[in-house]
Amino acid sequence: MTRGLLTTAVGSYPKPDYLLKARNQVARGKLDNKDLQELEKRATAHWIKVQEDLGMDVLVDGEMYRGDMVTYFSENMEGFAISGLVRSYGNRYYRKPIAVAPVGRSRPVSVEWWQYAQSLTDKPVKGMLTGPYTMADWSFNEYYPSREAFIIDLARSVHEEALDLERAGAEYIQIDEPAVSTRPDEMELAARALGIVTKGLRAFTITHVCYGDFASVFDQLIRLPVDMLDLEMANSNYELLKLLKGNSSDKYLSMGVVDVHNHVIETVDHVKRGIRLGLEVFPPERLYIDPDCGLKTRTDEEAIAKLQVTVTAVRETKKELGIE
Amino acid sequence: MIATVVGNYPKIGVDAQSPNLRSAISRFDSGQITEEELHRIEDEVTKGVIEEQLEAGLDMITDGQIRWEDGQTYFAGKIQGFRITGLIRYFDTNTYYRQPIAEERLQWQGPISLRDYRFAASISSKPVKAVITGPYTLAKLSKGPFYNDFKSLVMSLADILNQEAKALAQAGASVIQFDEPAILNNKGDFPLFQEAMNVLIRGVSSKTALYTYFGDISDLHPGFFELPVHILGLDFVVGTRNWAFLKDFPTDKELGLGIIDARNTKLETVEKIIEAIERASKHVSLNRLHINPSCGLEFLPRSNAYSKLVRMVEAAARAKELLS
Ligand SMILES: [Zn+2]
Repeated sequence: MTRGLLTTAVGSYPKPDYLLKARNQVARGKLDNKDLQELEKRATAHWIKVQEDLGMDVLVDGEMYRGDMVTYFSENMEGFAISGLVRSYGNRYYRKPIAVAPVGRSRPVSVEWWQYAQSLTDKPVKGMLTGPYTMADWSFNEYYPSREAFIIDLARSVHEEALDLERAGAEYIQIDEPAVSTRPDEMELAARALGIVTKGLRAFTITHVCYGDFASVFDQLIRLPVDMLDLEMANSNYELLKLLKGNSSDKYLSMGVVDVHNHVIETVDHVKRGIRLGLEVFPPERLYIDPDCGLKTRTDEEAIAKLQVTVTAVRETKKELGIE
Repeated sequence: MIATVVGNYPKIGVDAQSPNLRSAISRFDSGQITEEELHRIEDEVTKGVIEEQLEAGLDMITDGQIRWEDGQTYFAGKIQGFRITGLIRYFDTNTYYRQPIAEERLQWQGPISLRDYRFAASISSKPVKAVITGPYTLAKLSKGPFYNDFKSLVMSLADILNQEAKALAQAGASVIQFDEPAILNNKGDFPLFQEAMNVLIRGVSSKTALYTYFGDISDLHPGFFELPVHILGLDFVVGTRNWAFLKDFPTDKELGLGIIDARNTKLETVEKIIEAIERASKHVSLNRLHINPSCGLEFLPRSNAYSKLVRMVEAAARAKELLS
């Protein structure tokens, strides 16, 4: 029997109310970091259990301990300061990192959290990193003379972090690069930086890319130096598959089959149709199934329902096609 | 020489005493305050932003666009026929806007920005520039299922925004600025863009400005310089290639010289700013220069935005002494 169609997730899950409240209290000096960490662990354990109960294959820790994917790493690295508030959209604000000196790592950033999450399950948990291009693009830069110098320095740090995750036992390492496709003329630089990150790694490497004009950078996207591309498909009606059709690359694809920006829960049949479309282009051994992107903006119930429909659709498809 | 801004200003103040728009909006969203109360706070914040711009020493200001959720929603939300939908990344920035969808024939239902312009003009001791998102950019960032083709959507918006501009002109706006960043990514549409501009400025008695940012005008030159407006604004930070076109800048137009990086916190030196003004002044006489940031300042935290304006004004004054 053919094997394949493993289920996974992109990264973030919604934070429970008690955690949001606690983060707020820490910001106002009413709770200490140690207490916050206990709550973050509790929330992480909740999401590991949810994924196990659903029967997912490759798990994520849900990023309960992160405010923002770029700020989290920069706060725990050398060379960064944190800015005042800037607006992201609507009434949402966040603080951006500012490179004020050479950036680097004095110690592992994400390894402890990975170890904690992995200790809760026998299923593999992905090590989750933010890629150098996105880190630089979403930071202010007051130190480096060029974007390139900034990005390459970051790539070296992210590589060290990936090596530490690998040493700790991570079988899967995902390097998120949502910004990578926003500037076609810098795609070459972004790919070079990602190459520095993944160089010599034995772990299975993944990059998640979203929100871009993929068509214009597709040739470079498909050649990014990782084992697997994780792409959103549901919210573009699987248009991207047309581009992937006939490509000679031996990459794996992790295919997003539920839209994370919509409250509506897709039907099992709808998701199954998406999976079939994916199977027209990729053999099941090289096709993973997941939501389009991190689920953190959904409610708890919506996130679980979206994971449930994903898992059910995969299970039924496997049965119908005799995939193990 | 006029020291001015391009458009928006950070909404959240540094001072804990100042009215907090962020909490006001969330209190409004949860029904704790009325719409009138929210508008009163928006007015207060606008007042603070205007005072800050005047304190920095600008010769011409905007109202800071405090009430704009984004450049699209502010106008499209009040044009009949548009529905405002999900979040889309705004160009190559890490900010998002809500996408308007033209589901019916679009219609101007009366002035959209007039009340806000009047309020700002009534409390400012310096001229207030009225800003309108241009028809091409508004169309490009929207979807127009009602319209058979993109051109009809653009021309319909050109007509609507022309009525808006005429209303502002009648109210005494001395300068009306149209923002058109999207044309820089879609240069093939320039003939359509020209046509839209002709409709847009028809019968508008004020001085008109056309501002572009996030790129350069290569391939649009020389047609770009012949567009029927009085002031042309260019971004010299991202669009470094724009320097090369200045030698052909028309003698009967004014130049918006976007030389302060509105997307990075690094503070420019006085020397560097003077150097840039001197470089521009070789082709455009000082009395035809508007010195301004590369785009709206809302990508920066409030304190950084203010420091940049203070520095810009200081350098502009020094340049004036040195060069005239
Ligand atoms: Zn994503």
